[in-house]
Amino acid sequence: LNAAPRPPPRQQIRFLPTPAAGGGAVELVPTRVPVLADHPLVRGPRFKRLKIGAGHRLDVKASGVFVLGVGHGNKLLTDLYNCHLTKVYTVGGLFGKATEDFSDTGKLVEKTTFDHITREKLERILAVIQGTNQKALLMYSNIDMKTQEAYELAVKGLIRPMEKSPPIITAVRCLQFAPPEFQLEIHCLHETQQYLRKIIHEIGLELKSSAVCTQVRRTRDGVFTLDDALPRTQWDLQSIRDAIQNCQLKVKTELEKTL
Amino acid sequence: RALGRPAGPPSTRQLREAEEAAPVFQYAGKAARRKDRVFVWGFSHSGALGVPSFVKPDAGWKKPRRIQPTPYRLETEEKISSAACGYGFTLLASNTTDVTKVWGMGLNKDSQLGFQRSRRDQTKGYEYVLEPSPIPLPLEKPQQTRVMQVSCGRAHSLILTDSEGVFTLGNNSFGQCGRKVIEDEIYSESHLIHQLKEFDSRVVQVVCGQDHSLFRTKKGAVYACGWGADGQTGLGHYNITSVPTKLRGDIAGVNIVQVSSYGDCCLAVSDEGDVFGWGNSEYLQLASVTETTQVNVPRHLPFKIGKIKEAACGGTGNVVLTEEGNVFVWGYGILGKGPNLIETAVPEMIPPSLFGWSDSNPDLRVAHVRCGLSQFAALTNRGELFVWGKNLRGCLGTGRLEDQYFPWRV
Repeated sequence: LNAAPRPPPRQQIRFLPTPAAGGGAVELVPTRVPVLADHPLVRGPRFKRLKIGAGHRLDVKASGVFVLGVGHGNKLLTDLYNCHLTKVYTVGGLFGKATEDFSDTGKLVEKTTFDHITREKLERILAVIQGTNQKALLMYSNIDMKTQEAYELAVKGLIRPMEKSPPIITAVRCLQFAPPEFQLEIHCLHETQQYLRKIIHEIGLELKSSAVCTQVRRTRDGVFTLDDALPRTQWDLQSIRDAIQNCQLKVKTELEKTL
Repeated sequence: RALGRPAGPPSTRQLREAEEAAPVFQYAGKAARRKDRVFVWGFSHSGALGVPSFVKPDAGWKKPRRIQPTPYRLETEEKISSAACGYGFTLLASNTTDVTKVWGMGLNKDSQLGFQRSRRDQTKGYEYVLEPSPIPLPLEKPQQTRVMQVSCGRAHSLILTDSEGVFTLGNNSFGQCGRKVIEDEIYSESHLIHQLKEFDSRVVQVVCGQDHSLFRTKKGAVYACGWGADGQTGLGHYNITSVPTKLRGDIAGVNIVQVSSYGDCCLAVSDEGDVFGWGNSEYLQLASVTETTQVNVPRHLPFKIGKIKEAACGGTGNVVLTEEGNVFVWGYGILGKGPNLIETAVPEMIPPSLFGWSDSNPDLRVAHVRCGLSQFAALTNRGELFVWGKNLRGCLGTGRLEDQYFPWRV
């Protein structure tokens, strides 16, 4: 970063004494001179340390989109947090086992059969989860149910809690079902990855069996999707700058829409 | 020397072996099916919910529960296939071949639940029945006939069987039971159950309005009897009818596949997706065809909303379900489109996103619609129930006591 060309130094107007043309008296002539305080030898390297802030947390066993803010972007991070946008996860699960920390690497608690589970039963449980969370969504959004604007927001699906609230799941969908494995797509708000693993465990209990979570992958965090995310091979200056530039417009429109 | 080594943390191989050796529990077998359940909610003081502890608590210090605002599971002996709510009473029916097929609970002042012999005094009957009690039906072949459907009105009940016609019980002051009106008849503690068999073909659906009854036969005809001051019998006059008579008007010759009524307005759906209405129109239910407030002959309602699959009438509002799964409402009251829409004569669609339809869930359809006096309910194909309307005494089941202006999931 420090090797990149600097912006040109500031110019100022100073009155310098120069001998007038053809005469002997010294006059004050305004000339543009660069400000010495901006000189690289005076200032030193431009960036000595960078402020990097992290967006929504992602724990060690999970993977996916992780949003970071650099420098001025940290202020945008706070604004994005206040927008309360939904995050999308792809969660993989396995029937037949129950462990202490709800993931497949934990200590085994119980093993059960799972041949009675069908896709239809799973979808029914997912519908129940979505329904109860829908009610929580309406309750925590603190809108008076009796107003016309509450109705309009409900039609567009824009009712969202705008303050702190317990984790809420706005949509669940079953992507793949091949017993004992299954994969769900979960859209949620204010959640932690351990909460999602607990949901998988509870789905197993509801189906009269048990389930553990094998994979939690965040595919979307507000406006940032997997396409914008940089994989490990692209963690260099050029790609970071391109990525920031691509996302700038999206972030700006989202912030203007909400605030 | 120390021969045993202290136990350290188990290695991966030991963990794997322990896991494989762990016993496997089975909680549900492969053929496990969900048990069908009955849930009740609403005003419980008349015993209509069938839970005696709501009205007469089992401990002295407990207070009776007047309103049950959320669904409460009701234990039944048999699998219930049909249920109906009347004014303070409920009927549950099962299509078994056992001797007991119908149970009733709640208000019994007009013998709408038959004669329930009191255990304290053998000559008298119960006025309020607090738990589901069997209703004895005078069947010729009790171990072969099945009860297909039950329906309740304000003070009368209709029970439809598959081979022995329709049984009617309860109040008959307007001929709604299909028999001649007897002056000064005392309806409480009456043993009389009337049987109706004279129709052009087998009756396949019975519907009760407040004080009138509608019968739909297999051939697609509709018969009516009972009170007609609002034209709800559809027979061309405003008098009472005590014998079921066939309706004419715009539905003569049309194959009707569904009839609905709850208050004083009636709707019928034909096999081609047209809807016909008659009865009370004070709340703009039939205002699309006529300005009069009572219509006593069935009239075709020319709505351009597509083929209609199912219709339901409420007290002041009506709702229809089209083939695509969209819900249209019209009439007066809380129609489900926010507090600004109070009345409309033309059907308005309720946005499907309120029932859970979204881009990630495009297959969601509404499967059935039903009406109460000022409430609406819709059942989706995912098995979710949405209710909206006036929340009188907790009848919506949402857990709150306020009115609901747009569909809310129960």
